[in-house]
Amino acid sequence: MYNFDVVRPTSVDEALSALSQEDAQALGGGQTLIPTLKQRLAMPTTLVSLSGIDSMKGVSVDGGVITVGGATPHAVVAGEVADAFPALAHLAGNIGDPAVRNRGTIGGSLANNDPSACYPSAALATGATIVTNAREIAADDYFQGMFTTALDEGEIITSVKLPVPEKAAYIKFEQPASRFSLVGIFLAKYADGVRVAVTGASNNGVFRWAEAEAALSADFSVAAVEGLSAPSGDDMISDLHGSGDYRAHLVKALTKKAVAQAS
Amino acid sequence: MSVAKPLPHEAAKLHVTGSAHYVDELPTPRGTLHLAFGLSDIASGTISNMDLSQVRSAKGVVDVITASDLDRPADCSPSNHDEPLLSDGTIHYLGQPLFLVVADSHHAARRAARLAKIDYTKTTPILTIEDALAANSHFEEGPRIWEKGNTAQALETAPHIVEGEIEMGGQEHFYLEGQAALALPQDDGDMVVHSSTQHPSEIQHKVADAIGLPMHAVRVEIRRMGGGFGGKESQGNALAIACALVAQKTGRACKMRYDRDDDMVITGKRHDFRITYRASFDETGRLLGVDFKHYTRCGWAMDLSLPVADRAMLHADNAYDLPNARIESHRLRTNTQSATAFRGFGGPQGMLGIERVMDHAAHQLGMDPTELRRRNYYTDGDTPPKQTTPYGQQVDHFLLNAMTDQLAQSADLTARKAKIAEWNAQNPHLKKGIALTPVKFGISFTLTHLNQAGALVHVYQDGSIRMNHGGTEMGQGLFQKVAQVAASRFGVPIEMVKITATDTGKVPNTSATAASSGSDLNGMAVKAACDTIRDRMAAHLADLHQTDATEVSFVGGRVSVGSAEMSFSEAAKLCYEGRVSLSATGFYKTPKLAWDRIAGQGRPFLYFAHGAAVSEVVVDSLTGEYRILRTDILHDCGHSLNPALDIGQIEGGFVQGTGWLTTEELVWDDSGRLRTHAPSTYKIPACSDRPDIFNVTLWDGENAEDTIYKSKAVGEPPFMHGMSVFFALSDAIAQFGQGYPALDAPATPERVLKSIQKVRG
Repeated sequence: MYNFDVVRPTSVDEALSALSQEDAQALGGGQTLIPTLKQRLAMPTTLVSLSGIDSMKGVSVDGGVITVGGATPHAVVAGEVADAFPALAHLAGNIGDPAVRNRGTIGGSLANNDPSACYPSAALATGATIVTNAREIAADDYFQGMFTTALDEGEIITSVKLPVPEKAAYIKFEQPASRFSLVGIFLAKYADGVRVAVTGASNNGVFRWAEAEAALSADFSVAAVEGLSAPSGDDMISDLHGSGDYRAHLVKALTKKAVAQAS
Repeated sequence: MSVAKPLPHEAAKLHVTGSAHYVDELPTPRGTLHLAFGLSDIASGTISNMDLSQVRSAKGVVDVITASDLDRPADCSPSNHDEPLLSDGTIHYLGQPLFLVVADSHHAARRAARLAKIDYTKTTPILTIEDALAANSHFEEGPRIWEKGNTAQALETAPHIVEGEIEMGGQEHFYLEGQAALALPQDDGDMVVHSSTQHPSEIQHKVADAIGLPMHAVRVEIRRMGGGFGGKESQGNALAIACALVAQKTGRACKMRYDRDDDMVITGKRHDFRITYRASFDETGRLLGVDFKHYTRCGWAMDLSLPVADRAMLHADNAYDLPNARIESHRLRTNTQSATAFRGFGGPQGMLGIERVMDHAAHQLGMDPTELRRRNYYTDGDTPPKQTTPYGQQVDHFLLNAMTDQLAQSADLTARKAKIAEWNAQNPHLKKGIALTPVKFGISFTLTHLNQAGALVHVYQDGSIRMNHGGTEMGQGLFQKVAQVAASRFGVPIEMVKITATDTGKVPNTSATAASSGSDLNGMAVKAACDTIRDRMAAHLADLHQTDATEVSFVGGRVSVGSAEMSFSEAAKLCYEGRVSLSATGFYKTPKLAWDRIAGQGRPFLYFAHGAAVSEVVVDSLTGEYRILRTDILHDCGHSLNPALDIGQIEGGFVQGTGWLTTEELVWDDSGRLRTHAPSTYKIPACSDRPDIFNVTLWDGENAEDTIYKSKAVGEPPFMHGMSVFFALSDAIAQFGQGYPALDAPATPERVLKSIQKVRG
């Protein structure tokens, strides 16, 4: 690590002020950022910890929408939404290991937008609203490719609003060593249609599988997916853990499993 | 008598409380220096310029050493003098040590090592089997070939020909404790080295050679390792030599340990193999002849590759009587880490070849695989008909017919096969598979002179016993087993025996603790030493009581001398006062061995250890994922010295063997860089990956050969029970279509899926 200062604001305004300094960097749970710093891949002068801002923590359920504070750790989400949104609880309860789940936050995960992270698929599949200090961003506009989002410099995710679906499932095929998703499918069925978000697979980060959404919106059944061709493996991540073709195959296979599980 | 009791590991309490000392935890003297290697970033070529100025000026750096700074060449090879400690300008693999940083802390040394600016002249690396064959890059003069009978003829006229090939990956040892060494300079230039090694005598030998002193000036000590698995047979040499060289030069203690990533990038691993086969069978499933070609990537240096490849050939028969067999073995030199010893030492690879043949033949002939295997087994019994391995060793005391019967019964094999067939008929996406695989593993070092061991035992005047031998403790429980032998010889409770660190100053010229031979060799040597002392005590006590030495017995901590009786402590005190020497060495050499490795003929092994395993798996055709549902193992430890430790070895061996064949995948990229060099990318099985139902039973028998308390070696043989999982996967995959799965290892979900797609045609 290089040297840096840490500040621990207690309000969003204080945090924004601290982040306006040159080379300041927001710190969520640190489960990605701290290893990055240890590898000396980043050199912020100041880390602005968001963990002391009470208004950014906690989970509430109201009118079919779950609101999760940006600084809420995965383990808290897993516990709080177990009844209201079991698929989301399942997702949050299986991220990384206990240390990651008790430190890592939803805001940190979405701001980082790792192509193999779990949360982006939930946000995209539920058509979530990413609430920042400045504005509200629809999930469809928010994710802009691997490690890239609509967030501006110094903008903080204060909360995330996720509409609770009628039916949902999250199926993660884990890379066995790291337990990141080789492919993860978040399936969400609403009155006005079905959304299928895919993480772990694409070179462009999380994406919606439009053909499956159309087919499932017309007929919410495993058979509806069966008739589709898997997406092309050409744009999929091909690495030592799996070829692009294998990931493409898994997208379809896991979508079927998700439908079966949600049905 | 403490032998045969299921006593816990001697250091179990220390392990679980975190108070067992490993090399890195030994208190170091003030001013200890810390070392790190600077590593090559290319796989093949030469160094055109090495600018180490920034390394030298980095914080905490005391010295930076290159090959040209050494007074004499320092070689780390256990065999061929082809492993310079630091590159002589030629680069053989990506990760090869080029220079040595000496600093005031471990981290300072590692940080500084990254600051080198090195210009290379690259050449095209030889990475694959194809590359090596094209370049005729062999060790030895070419392939080694052994033959029994007339294989060509047996293949010519046969009703069924089974033909194919199998690829099997290497394996990282992943000992929990990484490589480590600590050198302490002594009076008059002597050197004491603490090394995490399975082979202290070799460390002593190589260090003495490197620092230019006779072996008597170097003493190597190791109390325990945190896992070895063969990865500390030769791979510790570099660290020990580096530490000793710098300690000699500076007069300061020197310590070195590899960070996990460096450890995986620098050190050798299990040999990966490709085995092609062409076999002939008659209508009944009896094998008539088989022609194997073994291709293995040995990496850049010879290391132990010749005996490893030999042992693969020596296990090309496994449990089967092959009337005609030809085995051709290519030991290929490649620009990768120098592949080395790993539990089984080539045996698993050779065995997987013949097991593949049996599995493939059963599929092709439409026979039950267990039945086909049974038809090809050697015959059981103490006086079977003349039946020889492909290398001419008579197979006596074979057990696997009876063991297979017992295991098939205890695992309820027939009924479960029927149930599985029923279940499979009703499940289109998931299929279950089950397989029984046997293991016959040869016990002894194939380099015959290594089959010797020494021990040193002292009895003190209070009756306490201090025991030392040449074996090393790496978690396997050797020290406890040998202590049980000592306690049994003197008829005292195990607490009377002190277990001590392995020390080349106490027992010289030892062999590596390897080839599963630790208990066999050292147990016998300790027994010999104890018996020498016991006989002296008996003679003296008999004299005192005017009786015969045969009237003296040592039982239950008591010594009976005719009608008199005393505690062992009292007996020891009497003997001391009677000026009886209460210290003795013991020595053992394995009998009956005679082996010509060039001809491939003789008796390389004193005996065979046997075992068999049944595993059941379920495979998901949508993703290629699978689970192990149940494993039953019946294993032959002879008359077990310690059933608890033996069962532990069997369980651990099975899990490690399963890891080799399922999740553990080593990946090198096109430049020769090992991409799987950390637990985030390389998956060893965890406790949660073992089967939910896991039954391990010891075969009730004893070794027909005269081994220590009629026990059998247990370190390596159970590793190969992992094959039962691999062939259960093959069985499950075959349920999805008509084709033969021809699965390669490791059977990752992606490979399983491909195999499913293949059998569907």
